[in-house]
Amino acid sequence: MLFFGRVRELAGHCEEAEELPQGATLADLFDRYARRFPALAGFRSSLVASRNQEFAAWNTKLAEGDEIAFLPPVSGG
Amino acid sequence: MTTIPQDDLFDLVQAPIDVAALHRRVRGAEDGAIVIFDGFVRNGSHGRATKYLDYEAYEPMALGKIREIGAQLHQKFAIHRVAIVHRLGRLEIGETSILIAVSAAHRAAAFDACRYAIETLKKTVPIWKKEYFEDGAVWADGELPPAPPAAKPAS
Repeated sequence: MLFFGRVRELAGHCEEAEELPQGATLADLFDRYARRFPALAGFRSSLVASRNQEFAAWNTKLAEGDEIAFLPPVSGG
Repeated sequence: MTTIPQDDLFDLVQAPIDVAALHRRVRGAEDGAIVIFDGFVRNGSHGRATKYLDYEAYEPMALGKIREIGAQLHQKFAIHRVAIVHRLGRLEIGETSILIAVSAAHRAAAFDACRYAIETLKKTVPIWKKEYFEDGAVWADGELPPAPPAAKPAS
């Protein structure tokens, strides 16, 4: 798991590993974080998930070693 | 159309961006036009005086998305070379945060490609900007990149 911008500030750190049951999806992972960081709950529609550095749908199933991030709206430029 | 993608340059940097060097980088004898977009730090936002900005990126993904934009420019527009460089970290008022340079035989393609590049970058590249004011700091309003359609059950 990687955290950036607002989400990094909410989570209080940049990076950590997480173990999930077989068949877990990005949405499941998000729910786990929303329980740990209640400020995240309700924010899912304002975030986009990435899996292995590509944007991914919330129902994407995860595999061991995946690199995941929940990305806030981007504001580069 | 001559494409010379190996001469393209895509980078994320901490040091100041050398606009003149990137201009030279994309300039070739077969070109007739170069369009450069120089985005730099404005001294205010929503009526408040900005002190400085701090940019952070999901660096490997951001560079990957910038490279994708470069590839799209070659597919969509009759251009020769592209340089896209984004600076990260703390930037002071007036400093360049993003430089896009596009060379082409003719101006229309260079203008169109440069515009497409900055508009796409602002929607799809995972870079975030925090604005620091006298009385606090805020993450800039951004755009949420489109997520792909829901995955097939057997992904």
